[in-house]
Amino acid sequence: MTSFDVILQQAINGISLGAMYSLLALGFTLVYGIAELINFAHFNVFMVGAMVAMLVLQAFGLVGQEIILTGLPLAGVLLAAFIVAMLVCGGIGVFMERFLLRPLRRVPGPAAMITTIGISYVLFNVVLLTLGSDSKNFPNPLPPLVFHLGGAVLRLREVLIWVIALALMGALTWFVQATRLGKAMRATAQDPEAARMMGVEVDRVVMTAFFLGSALAGACGMIFGLYYNLAKVDMGFAAGLRAFTAAVLGGIGNVPGAMLGGLLIGLIEAASAQTLGTAWSDVVVFGLLVVVLTVQPAGLLGRLAPNKS
Amino acid sequence: MISRRMTLQAATALAATGWIGTARAADKVIKIGVNLSFTGADAENAARIGNGAVIAFEEANAAHAVKGYTFQLVKLDDATATAGQYDPAQAATNARTMVSDKAYVAALGPQMSGAGKAMAPILSQGNLAIITPASTNPDLTDPKFAQQYRPAGKAIYFRTVATDAFQGPNMANYMADTLKVKTIYILDDSGAYGVGLADAFQAQAEKKGVKVLGRDRLDPKAADYASVLTKIKALDPQALYYGGVGQAGVKLVKQAYEIMPNVIKAGGDGMQSADVLKGAGFPAVEGWYATVASPHVTEDPKTKAFSDRYFARFKQRPDDYTVTCYTGALVIIEAVKKVEVTGKPVTRDLVRDAIQGVTLPNSLLGPIEFDANGDLKNKIISVFKITKDASKPLDDPDAQYKYVGVAPMG
Repeated sequence: MTSFDVILQQAINGISLGAMYSLLALGFTLVYGIAELINFAHFNVFMVGAMVAMLVLQAFGLVGQEIILTGLPLAGVLLAAFIVAMLVCGGIGVFMERFLLRPLRRVPGPAAMITTIGISYVLFNVVLLTLGSDSKNFPNPLPPLVFHLGGAVLRLREVLIWVIALALMGALTWFVQATRLGKAMRATAQDPEAARMMGVEVDRVVMTAFFLGSALAGACGMIFGLYYNLAKVDMGFAAGLRAFTAAVLGGIGNVPGAMLGGLLIGLIEAASAQTLGTAWSDVVVFGLLVVVLTVQPAGLLGRLAPNKS
Repeated sequence: MISRRMTLQAATALAATGWIGTARAADKVIKIGVNLSFTGADAENAARIGNGAVIAFEEANAAHAVKGYTFQLVKLDDATATAGQYDPAQAATNARTMVSDKAYVAALGPQMSGAGKAMAPILSQGNLAIITPASTNPDLTDPKFAQQYRPAGKAIYFRTVATDAFQGPNMANYMADTLKVKTIYILDDSGAYGVGLADAFQAQAEKKGVKVLGRDRLDPKAADYASVLTKIKALDPQALYYGGVGQAGVKLVKQAYEIMPNVIKAGGDGMQSADVLKGAGFPAVEGWYATVASPHVTEDPKTKAFSDRYFARFKQRPDDYTVTCYTGALVIIEAVKKVEVTGKPVTRDLVRDAIQGVTLPNSLLGPIEFDANGDLKNKIISVFKITKDASKPLDDPDAQYKYVGVAPMG
């Protein structure tokens, strides 16, 4: 491999990582933008998404890495797993919002945030007790198709991950920008009181934000499984922390900010593994976060909703 | 904490309550702690290892091996669900539990060197001997670190396995001489075991003239090793050596298979587990080498009788660390016996001294005798290679790890 090939390969690695962080960061940012709440359950909603996707794939008879599908069956199976994972996670998000967080919305202080931490541990332990703590061999039916770009290698699954992540982010952007509910979301993010006075159903908007954010976490869980062929009960913490950092780096509450933050963190992680060694990647990622926040406290792209006092 | 502890199995519990034979009601109960990582990534191995002790003490109790005494095994779990593997803090708590209860006269375990490092100083202060069936970090018995791991002076950390001081270098010899490896990249998982193993491997590899292209450290909690593997691929090594356990190992196996399928890959005994086979699966695991810091005895004909008894009791076959644990248990039984015949009460101080002097000339592992540091005098490292046998369960270590020979000392 020439050094150009290495850079290209690390860019491919970094973008794939970044795509996952971005999707996950969107969930943090959507909920924070609308409800001003950091949803720590998001870490483990993502993990549940991966587990659900795995169970769906296994229900189709896919076990391990040795059964390869192509064409329509492949698309069908993947679509089914994506949809079920997204719906289950979206459902968890809605349930969490409606029954556990809505009653706390007017309670000042950190009660709601602590509740999300509690939910996170409940999800973690439910999966731990039902599925166990061992590393799961996530089924991967994708054909081992590989494109050679010089010495660098681009695998089908990376292309697929990019396409899916882009499509989901595109759909979300369209939803927020072009639909009525999206407009209501933006209005609520800017000023919930004014939005309510203008006839926006704030409860419905908050619930939508939870649904969308959690569904994206579900999709991200599935993508993570396909990418690493692995699911494990503690997978949410490391990925979730990076994604949360991505959301803050881009400017929490800001949708394009989360995408940019995720991509940057993915690329930085790959670059620091190449140059300094993996042991340093946390230091680089979080060090950079500190520096950015010192210079630009609202994150790279700033908040979508500037004042809500 | 109490809820984590359960007596290992019904028989000893029943013995303790006097159910097995009224004649034994007057027996003194002495406790033997079995401290392994019963939760998380290493749980399956822990159960298999621990059962080696269960069978030894069951048989000893049934045969009234020590007059006037009944052994009670107490299971102590040093792993936590949050850590997903052993947790040094939990290991230290377990050590304190044992030290503070005079009924404990000896212990078996731990599986992991990181746990051993947390336990050894506490056990030393309490003068409670422990025999590890699997932890292979050399520092624990190295006189250089006596201040740290046996501050009270006497050796309390005994092993029925060799150490990484041999597992690493012997494998380096094997890779240089038998596999003809000229260039290598070395990774570890930042744990005490992994770093020690990789350090020892690296020193010998360099001595043998193998070119070490680099050394890096994996974060076991991170998911992505593609970036570091890309860096390694660019250096084009013939082989990759990984010092570490399954938590990072499973992810490494998967990603290394995709990024560098044709590189020779090897690890220590941390890569010899059902978890690696199950989590990473074929085809990714195919061709990985792993070593065990003990002789490979499960295929040895003289182990057959033990293996059959074990199978009858637990419906699975023992692995080599089951046999090291079983042998450790026999050492303890022998030591207690030696104390009992002197007529003195069986205390942990006397048991420790007795363990130091035990010799089992014909154990399943060969002659067992400890040096002044608690290490075995006779050290053998076995090499295995993962080779798919589709006729057997694909997650069964006995079926899928093929014994390929002994890694030479020197």
